[in-house]
Parts: sequence; structure tokens; C-alpha cells
Amino acid sequence: MSPEFILYLVINTAVVLGIAPLFISLIKKVKAWTQGRRGPTVFQTYFMLAKLVKKEVIYSPHSSWIMRVTPIVNIAAILVAALFVPLVFVPEPVGGIGNIILLLYLLALAKFFMALAGLDAGSSFGGMGSSREMSISAIIEPTTIIVFAALVFVFKTLNIFEMFTRSAAAGTLSTPTLILTGISLFIILIVETSRIPVDNPETHLELTMIHEGMILEQSGSNLALMELSAAVKLTLLMALLINLIVPFGLATTLTATGLILALILFLLKGCILAGVIGLFESSMAKMRFFRLPSLFAMAFFFSTLIIIIEVFS
Amino acid sequence: MITELLFIGIAFLLAGVVIPLVTMGTDRKAARTVSLCCTIGASAVLAVLSLVILLSGEVIAWTAYQTIAGFILTLVIDRLAAFFILIIAAVSGSVAIYSTSYIEYLHGGTRRNLLCASANLFILSMVLVVASGTTLGFFLFWELMAASSFFLVMYEYDDTETKKAGIFYFVMTQLSTLFVMLGVIILYGQTGTFAFTHLPAASSPFLTASFLCLFLGFSIKAGIIPFHKWLPYAHPASPSPISALMSGVMLKIAVYGLVRFLLDVFAPDLWWGVLILAAGTASAVLGIIYALKEHDIKAMLAYSSIENIGIIFVGIGLFVIFTSNNLPALAMLSLLGALFHSLNHAFFKSLLFLTAGSVVYATHTRDIEHMGGLVHRMPYTSGLFFVGAVAIAALPPLNGFASEILIFIPFFSSVAVANPLFKVLLFICLALFALTSALSAACFVKAFGSVFLALPRSEESGDAREVPLPMLAGPALLAGACIVIGLLAVQLFALAGYTVPIPDMLLVGVLLLAMIALTFGTLYFTASRTVRISGTWGCGMPSQQPLTEYSGHGFSEPIDIIFSTIYRTKIRNERSFFDNAGCIFREGIAEIRLLKVFEEYLYLPVARASCRAAKAVSRIHNGCLDTYLLYVFVTVLVMVVWLGWFA
Repeated sequence: MSPEFILYLVINTAVVLGIAPLFISLIKKVKAWTQGRRGPTVFQTYFMLAKLVKKEVIYSPHSSWIMRVTPIVNIAAILVAALFVPLVFVPEPVGGIGNIILLLYLLALAKFFMALAGLDAGSSFGGMGSSREMSISAIIEPTTIIVFAALVFVFKTLNIFEMFTRSAAAGTLSTPTLILTGISLFIILIVETSRIPVDNPETHLELTMIHEGMILEQSGSNLALMELSAAVKLTLLMALLINLIVPFGLATTLTATGLILALILFLLKGCILAGVIGLFESSMAKMRFFRLPSLFAMAFFFSTLIIIIEVFS
Repeated sequence: MITELLFIGIAFLLAGVVIPLVTMGTDRKAARTVSLCCTIGASAVLAVLSLVILLSGEVIAWTAYQTIAGFILTLVIDRLAAFFILIIAAVSGSVAIYSTSYIEYLHGGTRRNLLCASANLFILSMVLVVASGTTLGFFLFWELMAASSFFLVMYEYDDTETKKAGIFYFVMTQLSTLFVMLGVIILYGQTGTFAFTHLPAASSPFLTASFLCLFLGFSIKAGIIPFHKWLPYAHPASPSPISALMSGVMLKIAVYGLVRFLLDVFAPDLWWGVLILAAGTASAVLGIIYALKEHDIKAMLAYSSIENIGIIFVGIGLFVIFTSNNLPALAMLSLLGALFHSLNHAFFKSLLFLTAGSVVYATHTRDIEHMGGLVHRMPYTSGLFFVGAVAIAALPPLNGFASEILIFIPFFSSVAVANPLFKVLLFICLALFALTSALSAACFVKAFGSVFLALPRSEESGDAREVPLPMLAGPALLAGACIVIGLLAVQLFALAGYTVPIPDMLLVGVLLLAMIALTFGTLYFTASRTVRISGTWGCGMPSQQPLTEYSGHGFSEPIDIIFSTIYRTKIRNERSFFDNAGCIFREGIAEIRLLKVFEEYLYLPVARASCRAAKAVSRIHNGCLDTYLLYVFVTVLVMVVWLGWFA
């Protein structure tokens, strides 16, 4: 493992941890604006995390070690997954880091623990959240894998690092297929990060919540870790979309100016995407749970279309 | 030297068969323990033997028995055979350690000696099937395997459920043997030899028929849908260590048969590959969807075995397809994936069956709705089950993921296949394959959550106690293997001489640990360390009851509804009235039940047809001696006339 790669590990983790809460607050801000409110400051999520860390942790007497290890395993899996998606700087891949299938399964690892923690305290809200989350993640999986397969098809590599290098070399919006893939990736982003129309991140009503239901029993620093990992997951999926579709500015060599420029550009692109997500969420209502499979089926046929176009062109 | 190891292994197993049988007179624990120790010894010896062969590539061959030229029984162990012997040895060893304690809790007095003897015979027959150097030996030991496993399933023969399951299993396993026999005979007719000889690519209809017979035989044994029904019946009926052996190892013997015949005998056509792939995909998807609906923990594991065998068949199907398309590198990768998944599934499924056996022993029920809260009462068992659940859900960095990614990669590279329609077919199968692995994660969240987490949902579950040491040690070995194989997947392949393009899981493991350390360290210095224990928030309910928990049924309800076209239900509503207007209700039946599609539309019609045929034939047998004499007389007459005309 080269020193460059170790430096990459440090930079990527620092950047993703640093900016993830910002994007969450930005989306909230945009949604507040569309509702005619001023909304909290864009630093609100940072304040909230700092506050949660200082608070005591409460465990249910029925909960087990699952409840206690889940926040840590969850954030660790998501942070390792974040290493698979370079935000500002793309090094040479080492030992299969950046494998797109492994990325998907690291996210699944986090989800597995989170779902078990939802069941652990014996609360029916947690169980409801876990059950819905696992169902949704199961039926979105074919779409995700087909989109990833389309990416592998277009870039002729399984490694996200190489995909980014190639898309950075090719400039922007290289093929029409890539734009189509971008739309599919956007749908996956919405589903995976539990946003409207799939889930509503702002309610605590048992009829609507999925992700919030699972983490209802978490408190204090554990809740902070869960919130932070959700933010990091959002950021890494956003980075995947951004760096594939509009990669300009992405640093492929390690220089200070290049890194700073890449960081500023990424922040800018991320803020725009966060705005788009906020507007998208504000433009529609949450769907009924059992209407979701048809939405996913649409996304699935859409991504299969990409494959068919690629195969026959 | 290595050949001697094989003999020692076989001798140990034979001793394990004989010792409990000769001491049947008195019900003594010692005889059973010695017999199981023989199994453990044999496992150790056979594991060493197979590791030596796997690493050195040496082939051992030994002629066991020869009467007339051609009818020859030889034992040949090459790397493929050694690989499967390793699976048999590792799983049998752990199962035997577990059984030393488990078997003493079973009822049945000296019947337990019979169980030990049949289990050893069963393991021996599996070793011999794999080691057979001729198709004749393969078939003979296959039948021995079928017969000995039937005795194991019938252990609790006084139970009506077991009797039903046993008959079902017996019929299916004999059908499997029948088709394997047909395949071997047709092959003998074509080649004139029982040896595994490689055939040229020219595909005659006879060779195709032979392949189809063998494929059918192996599919029935492996539990490929629609021949899978025996698994969810036989597994709950048999003792848990036996389920672990049958699901973990016996199904793999069918995989071995298929791989052996595809590699060493046939030159497969493209459509064979498509057939295997389609059968595999259907089993994988339907297997896990049925598993999600199941609430008998052992039946659920049985359905999950069907899913995993499906995944293995997908790998083999890809192997044939890529070979036919002249893509040897991808074909190799798919085959390695299929074989690696056979090993991994053997380990984690035996682990799950053994720990499930402990849970059933502790709670006296197989219904997961009556469990719960066991994580506090059986902490070690729950930890071991957890490792198995993570592994089977194909989560990194455990071994289930390492083999699934090995099948994913050829799928992703199937761009290289020339025919565009095939590309689309492969991508559809890829999507279903992905669905399978996501559903299996959901299934095992449900299983672990319902069995171990939250509050106990029955008195037995509340009174459950941790099981004794041997019942933890056996599964612990398997759990350790799951973790080590997962982390060192790349290194192990390198050791065997293969470079595979899968990520270095050791690095991923180290990174995960580093991130855990980072989080822990940061929290240690910044976070509040006050911890308070307080009741689960129940939305204003005065106290938390097990009844208000989310049950296993509830957990899988969304998936039930989404896939409601697959879970067909039959609604029956019959009412009768005292009056003609239908006002005064007399009696009625209303029921909603799950339609057993395969049973009602495939198995029963076939069974009824054979019953009718048997009835027709039985009319000839009227039990009267004169009639039989008449039959003999007529036969002789016909033969005389026949010979007179034609000879």
C-alpha cells in the first residue's frame, strides 16, 4: 500500500465526514424555503450532532449487544464504503478497494445491523421500520444491480476509481447512456437514503416512517452515529452520481492546489445536487408503501433499457 | 503414504458403524461416544488427505474390486474429489463433536446406537461416491447414500409427521437413483465402459438423453425446484445434526456429480448451460421467497438451502455457457465461484442447522413465533447463529460474500458473450440473482430477530438455558472457518494456484477495524459516558408485552403482499342453511390456506397416475394359483412361437 493511498484514505474520510452534515442541512433548508419558512441554518446538523454526543445513552432493558454495537458497526461500514467513492481525489486502486459490488454489500452490511437493532428493543415501531426497510431494499436491489452492470458495461471496469478516472479523462456527459444511468442513479439515491416519495425523513408517524422507525430507540451518542452515517451514505451516493456525470475538476494526481480546487468544485456541485434533491422532495407527496414496487419496476425497466441500448448499439 | 490415509479414514468410519451395532444389547453412552470419536478421527484424517491432494495436485488411484473386465470399482481422488472430501470431512467432524452431547438428549434408548451407525455409514458412502473412479461405483455408492440417509430421516419413526416425511423422502431419493442409473446405463451403452472418459463434442440424442437423466437425478437430490419438496419435509423431521449433514454435505454430492460429469464426460452444449442456469435461477429466487414465508425454523433453513443450491447451479450454468462461447477465463471463474459457494454453504448452513438444533432443544419448539429473547438466555449460541446469518446473507467480510462476488463478476463481464440475446438473458438472471441475495438478508434479519431478540414469546423460550460445551464447540469450529475463509479468500485461492479478481477481504476487514477504532476513540474522548437503562418507548402503553412485538409473520408481511402472485392462496367458503332463503345458518367452513402449487399440480397428479397404473396392473394378480400357472403356460407358449419364427 503506497503512501499516496494512505493519504487518500485520510483525505477522503476527513472530507466526507466534514461535508456530509452540510448537505443534509442544505436539503432541509431548500425544503423549508419551498414551504415558505426560513428554516434552520445550514450548520444545524453539526450543532445537533454535537449536542447528541454530549447527551446520555438510554438502553431498553430488553436490548442486547446488537443495540450496543450497531451504531459503531454501522458508521464503520458506511465509512469504509465511502472510501470506495473518491470525492475529490482518485488514486490508483489497491487490493480491490473501489469494487462496485463490494460497495453495495458494505451498505447492505450497515442495513443488516440497523434492521436487527430495530427489532432488538421489542418495540413495534422498530420492527415495522426494519420490516419495511428490508422489503424495500430487497425489491430495489435488481434495479441497483442492473444500473451498476450498465456502468460496468459502459466503463469496462468493475472498479469505481477507474470509472472516475475514465469519466474524468473523457470530460462531461460522455454518452447518452450515461445520462440515462444518471437518472437511474438518482432514483437509487432517493430510495437508499429514505427520502420522499419512498420514506419521509421528517415524520415520526408510524404510518409513514421507515428509517426513522428503525432508529427510534437510539439515543445520545449512538443516535449521533446513526444520523452521521445516514448523512455520509447520502454524500457517498451523491458523489457517485456527481463524479460519474459531471467529473470535471476531479483530481487524479496529488497536488495541494488540485485538491483544493477539486474540493471547492465538489462542494459547489454537491450543493446544487442537494438543492435538486430538496426541490424533488418538495414537489411530491410520499407514496403509499405498496405502490412503491410499481415505482421500482419503472426504474428497473428503465435501467434494463440502458442495457438493451448498449447491447444492440 | 497418502493412499494409506484414505484407508485409515475408511477404517475409522467402518469402526464407527460396527461399534455401536455390536453394543446394541445395552444402552451405554460410551459406545456412542466412541463411535462419534471415530467420525472425528476419520474427519481429521480425510481433511489432511484432501488438503495434501489439493495443494500438491497429486492423484491417488486404487482398484478396489474387479470381477469381469469392465465391471470395475476403483477409488480415484483428484483435486476435484479432494475438494468435496474436504467439505465432507470438515462438516462431519463438527457435526460429530456437536452430536456427542446432542445425541444423549434424544429419546429412543439403543435406537441412538443405530443413529450413530447409520450416520457413519452415510458419511462413508458420501466419501465413496466422491472417490469413485467409475460410473458404476458412483451409482452403487449413490444408492448406499440414499438408503443410509433414509434411516437417518426415519429416526423418530413413531411420529406420524416423520413417517410421512420419510416416505416422501424415500420416493424422491429413489427417483433420483433411478435417473442416475438410467443416465449411467445409457452412457455405458454409448461408450462401452464405466470409466469417466471424455466424449467428443458430437452430441447424439443418446448422449443428450443420458445428460438429461443425470441432470434430473442430481436435481432431485440437490433439491432444485420443482423437485425440492422433500427438503422442507425431511429436514424438520430428522434430528438437527442429520439435517446439517444432509443440507450441508449431501446436497453438495449432487453438485459434485453434475460438475464431474460435465467436466470429465460430456462436451456440453450451450442449451445445457441455459437449462442449468434457468433451473438455478428459479430455485434461488423461489427458494428464498418460500423461506421468507416459513415459520418452522428448520423448514426455513431447508428452503434457504434450495436457494443456495440454486446459486451454485447458476455458477455451473454460467460455466457451461462461457465454455460454449469460448471464454475459458470467465468459465473458470464461474466454476470456481460455484465450487467455492458449495464449500461456504456447507459451512454456514451446517452452522445454522446445528445452532437451530440447540435452540429447538432449549425451547422445545420449531416455530419461531414462540421463541424470542434468547440472546440473553443463550448468548454463545446466539453469537454463533449470528455469524452464520451474516455469512448466509452474503455480507462482507464473511465467506458467503466472497463466493457470491465470484459469481457476480462473470455475470458483470458477460458483455463478452457474442450473442446479444444471451447478453440480455444473462442480465435478467443477474437482476434475479441480486434480488435473491437481498431477500436472503431480509430472511435472516427476520430469523435472527424473531428467534433471539426482544422478549420471549412463550414460557419455554423464557426458561431456555445455554447448551453444554460440545454443542457450542462444533458450531464454533464452523463459525471460525466462515470468518477465516471470508477474510483470506484471495490468499486461499492464491495458495491453490488461482488468481481471482475479487477484492482483498483482509484489507477490507482491516479497514473496518480501523474505522471501528476511529469511532470508538473519538467517542471515548468526546462523548458522554452516562448510560441509563429505561423501558422501551411503547407509545403510551403501561407495560411492554411480548404480544405487542413485531412478529415474524408481521416482519415478512410486506414481502408476502409484494410477491402475493407467488404465494398463491386458496379461499374456501362453504355454507349451508336451514331455510331456502339462506337466512338461518346451519354450518359452514371458511379457510384461507397457502396453495402448495408444486404439490397440487405436479407431485399429486404424478402420484395419482402411478397409483392408477398400479391398480390396473394389480388386477392381473388375483392371488389364485391356477391363474399364475396359466400365465406361465401362456408365456412359454408365446416364447416358443416367437423363437420358432424369429430364431
